[in-house]
Amino acid sequence: MTGMDEKLAIETVDLKKSYKMGLVTVHALRGVNLKIRHGEMISVVGPSGSGKSTLLNMLGALDVPTSGKILIDSVDISRMGERALARFRNRRIGFVFQSYNLIDRSKVAKNVELPAIVADMPRNLRNKRVNELLDLVGLGDKANRRPNALSGGEQQRVAIARALVNDPAYILADEPTGNLDSKTGQEIENLLLRVNKETNATIVIVTHNLELAEGTGRIIHLRDGVIEKERVGLWGHGDEAA
Amino acid sequence: MAVFDLIGLSFGALKERKLRSGLTILMVIIGVALMTSINGLGGGMNNFITEQLGTLGANVLIVTPSSMFGPMQQSGMQTKLTAQTVRTIERIQGTKYVIPFMTGAGTLKSGGETKTVSVLGIDQSKLVYVAPKISLESGSYVPSRDTSGILLGYNIAHPSNLNKPFANTGQMVSLEFSVVETQGGAEKLVVKKKAFVVRGVANELGTQDVDSLASISLAEANALFGKDGVYDGIYVITNGPNDNDKVEARITKIYGKNIGVMSPKAIASTIQDVMGTFIGFLSAIGGVSMFVGAVGIITTLYTSVMERTREIGLLKAIGYTRETVLLMFLTESFAIGLVGALLGLVFGVVGAYVLIGVLPFGFGQEISISPWFSVPDLGQVFLLALGLSVLAGLYPAWRASTMSPILALKKE
Repeated sequence: MTGMDEKLAIETVDLKKSYKMGLVTVHALRGVNLKIRHGEMISVVGPSGSGKSTLLNMLGALDVPTSGKILIDSVDISRMGERALARFRNRRIGFVFQSYNLIDRSKVAKNVELPAIVADMPRNLRNKRVNELLDLVGLGDKANRRPNALSGGEQQRVAIARALVNDPAYILADEPTGNLDSKTGQEIENLLLRVNKETNATIVIVTHNLELAEGTGRIIHLRDGVIEKERVGLWGHGDEAA
Repeated sequence: MAVFDLIGLSFGALKERKLRSGLTILMVIIGVALMTSINGLGGGMNNFITEQLGTLGANVLIVTPSSMFGPMQQSGMQTKLTAQTVRTIERIQGTKYVIPFMTGAGTLKSGGETKTVSVLGIDQSKLVYVAPKISLESGSYVPSRDTSGILLGYNIAHPSNLNKPFANTGQMVSLEFSVVETQGGAEKLVVKKKAFVVRGVANELGTQDVDSLASISLAEANALFGKDGVYDGIYVITNGPNDNDKVEARITKIYGKNIGVMSPKAIASTIQDVMGTFIGFLSAIGGVSMFVGAVGIITTLYTSVMERTREIGLLKAIGYTRETVLLMFLTESFAIGLVGALLGLVFGVVGAYVLIGVLPFGFGQEISISPWFSVPDLGQVFLLALGLSVLAGLYPAWRASTMSPILALKKE
């Protein structure tokens, strides 16, 4: 274990989020203190309604906390404006969703390219990057297919390539294997592990799947909006520690 | 984001919903085409009427042997227009000049070229009261006692199919014409020929009537065509346009229905009024259809925004700003407007030519009106269509841009 004074990738300080659902106020997060180091791959598990998706949305700058801080590279993103947040999401974060969220009318390559377009990456660089990433996820030959012609696992690989296109420091995955059978789910996890190892991106996975969680470096158990316990996982405690 | 990428993304989205996009574009086309056609028809009508008004003075009445508009009179009942008629009309209060004329037809020959002309015999010193804008390019009017002088209209002297003048002032031309002669109790058509000297050439007026005219003195026309002192018509110049009705009523009172009196100006302005109302009515329909097109864009884009909620959520999650999303949807409405407006202009121009053939603009007479398009007006229609389209896209685009990415991504 590294020392406490090491600069953290992500730190939440007494993070709280509540929202109104009709007349009831739901306290989704009731004070989460979480520290994630650079290059770490962690999973957040917990029952439905434990607040894990809310936490991920906060880390991804998609939602703002009711109180508390989210420090990413020591910068409190909860104080950033809409435009700065959009830029932050675009350059620093890659999202992977349970239902892939690919645009079916666009070719696979175009889907991967989307975040790079708004980042104003030059076209030739963009094309090169897209091809590299499709090769990385094993879909180099399917660049011109439409997403709906691919299997679920392949679609999720496209989504992972898309998440990586702007070379983000953080990858946030919300139930990335939730729509896949266990074998394909394992393949996606292996891909994420490889990405973590090769790009050194910090990866946070929210999941129901304990088997998947076990494979990550650290498992955070969330219940009723607070961290119940955390455990060390299998990943990164041997070959990765150096 | 680069403009090219923006256009690429927007067109991709429009192409995904081909039928719906196509129908929406069709709505824009209909509005723009209607406005364009109406513009062309209105312009053509106005040109035509202005031309008519421009030729004859506002205080001109035309007296003809029988009413042109009433039921045909029996030939025996027709009043002959003679020197006596002229004296009678001259005595009516409000008349300034009474100018009788005779007409005939013939063929002019000059230097191997021939031209069919209508010949007008008239006191040319008073021609300027009938057609106030007339002026001479060269030479002079034919004096009333001149029996061998002829005045040529611009189009006769300078035919468009010849690169040299047909005849110049001072040149000789010969007129061939046919008259009916009674020889030994039998009527016979006799072709006659007479040489004239071109005394003058009129400037171009832009009116077929005047520009294609060959005019000789009244006395010579009488002799040439064997009119025997009977005029084909009389121009009555009143003291002013306000006297037209009074003089017209007086003539009608004296001669009843055996004589025709018309005021070209009054007819023209009546036509203009009727046409103006008609064009206005059509324009209103065109305007409404443009607004319907705009509502069509709102509906189409709004539906599209709702269907693409997840896509919008994704775009925002991966870093597309409000402005970019707004711009993407506005580009879609702009594209619909642009394609619709361009095609609308094309269909509108074609439509104007089709409509002018179908609509009863000529009132049964051989009047050729061609549509006339004012470029600034068409520009206005085009910009209005584009403006309305972008405006119509504003609400759906704003709805898309303000969507919460979390809620949008949650939507099933």
